[in-house]
Amino acid sequence: MITPPEISWLAIAPDLALTLGAALVLLVDVQWKPVARVHAWVSGVTVAVAAGLTVAQWIQAAPADALAFSGLITMDGFAIFTRLVLIAATALGLAAGWRFVAGLGRRGAEAIALVLLATSGFSLMVASNNLVMMFMGLEVGSIALYVVAGLARERRESEEAAIKYFLLGSFASAIFIYGVALIYAGTGQFEIVGIRDLLAGFVVSSPAVIYIGVGLVVVGLAFKVSAAPFHAWAPDVYQGAPAGLVGYMATVAKVAGFAAIARILLTGVLDLSGSWLPVVAGISVVSMLLGSVLALVQGDVRRLLAYSGVSHAGFIMTGVVGGATDAVLFYLAIYAIQLIGAFAVVAVVAGPDAAGSSIDQYRGLGRRSPLLAGAFTVILLGMGGLPVTSGFVAKFGVFTGAWAEGYEWLVIVAVVATVVALAFYIRVIVVMYMDEAQEEGTLRIGPERWVLVLAVAATILWGIFPASLLDLAADALPI
Amino acid sequence: MVDVGWYMALAAALFLIGALGMLLRRNALVMFMCIELMLNAVNLTLISAGRALNDLDGQVAVFFILVVAAAEVVVGLAIIVAIFRRRATASVDELSELRG
Repeated sequence: MITPPEISWLAIAPDLALTLGAALVLLVDVQWKPVARVHAWVSGVTVAVAAGLTVAQWIQAAPADALAFSGLITMDGFAIFTRLVLIAATALGLAAGWRFVAGLGRRGAEAIALVLLATSGFSLMVASNNLVMMFMGLEVGSIALYVVAGLARERRESEEAAIKYFLLGSFASAIFIYGVALIYAGTGQFEIVGIRDLLAGFVVSSPAVIYIGVGLVVVGLAFKVSAAPFHAWAPDVYQGAPAGLVGYMATVAKVAGFAAIARILLTGVLDLSGSWLPVVAGISVVSMLLGSVLALVQGDVRRLLAYSGVSHAGFIMTGVVGGATDAVLFYLAIYAIQLIGAFAVVAVVAGPDAAGSSIDQYRGLGRRSPLLAGAFTVILLGMGGLPVTSGFVAKFGVFTGAWAEGYEWLVIVAVVATVVALAFYIRVIVVMYMDEAQEEGTLRIGPERWVLVLAVAATILWGIFPASLLDLAADALPI
Repeated sequence: MVDVGWYMALAAALFLIGALGMLLRRNALVMFMCIELMLNAVNLTLISAGRALNDLDGQVAVFFILVVAAAEVVVGLAIIVAIFRRRATASVDELSELRG
């Protein structure tokens, strides 16, 4: 007799809620052709239900039964924390992109459904213990994002961003899954915990295949999180995709990608760390330096944020080198909120469906809309890692981890890169306050204002009282 | 009976051809076909590894990758067609409006 596998619906409940919500948005749209406000309610309730179920997971989760669905899915703290970050990013991203979504008219429901589906995919990805399951989640999320990048169909730049994102994203996915196949060929395992136990218990006779596999997996995910030298797509995509939803796209891909990197490297193949640590440290150095230096010479704020994202990928990699999952998670949560906040400002200044956002548009913003410029200043300083902002706490966390691991040189490079990075953030601030405005009139702010309020509050409050979030991140351990 | 290592080597060669084509060719459709070639190389690797290990997991995983590849075709071709309609070209060299 075949015993059926044990099914724990709670483990995938938030993802189910997001998927059903996406279907519901489309069905409601087809059946009643409602106004945008109805979609706002449906998607808002979906995100709230998903968040509630994730909190229920946090309360329920016990390490003993963290594995569900025959080991495909985990319900460990790491997965739940990352999932909460993803769901928060979805709520903020939809609010920041709401004017774009509403402006799409009849196609607005598609945009909401794609965003919810992308979140459900990435949320499965961060919770998966099985490498094929992780690939499925990655693809469900990525394929939805390729379409989101091309949603502003009437703009040529949006099409260009979509094809570039699609070709390079699929290329990265193929590299990732080939690495998974090689790991399987070397170990006979898809399960991350199984690989860990195997490597801990046996001396693998021919580890070359596993090394190549791990290397390819890291390269594939480095593409997704736009770490140098695999970052070439990011500036073009960030510049061309619809302004309202770029922040969401960039954030969820980066959060999920780094969660996967941390889970595979720090849980699965930690015993091979002697081999991958130098490689990850190398990617980290190249990302920090290249991202910071190239951001200095950008004339477009969205490309600047893309290159700053490359340098942030390098900073988060130092946390992976240090082996501190809590520092990585804290950094991801902080960076997610700040990135969506920064792109919300871009969406206000450039217009919700615009492509590009030249720095000239920000001249004199301090006099045109003091509150908007003030919020952008706080967010940029937070991204730069100035003390008293949450960015400082986040950077401090990942740097101390790498220092304790014996990578002092990496931390020194990181601090230099932080100073260079501050230069381009401050350049934007100077332009906003010192220059004369080239355009007149106040800017229209829609639901973006709530995103900005939250981003500023998170940057300052978690900068002064980081303990609450740090404790949560410290509890969020992988199995 | 051919040694499983040869199948793995063939798959590696196919993957390399796909990756090189992706980097060298400039037509979006051909680049897309190269990605499909890479995914099929992955399938061959999984099947032969599963056979060598006498384990079904690898062969089941192939079905998932096939489905993902099909989903990628749907979205990818739609994007390429949308671009071709407006510009009458599928060359990625023509797509260079975004730069800093």
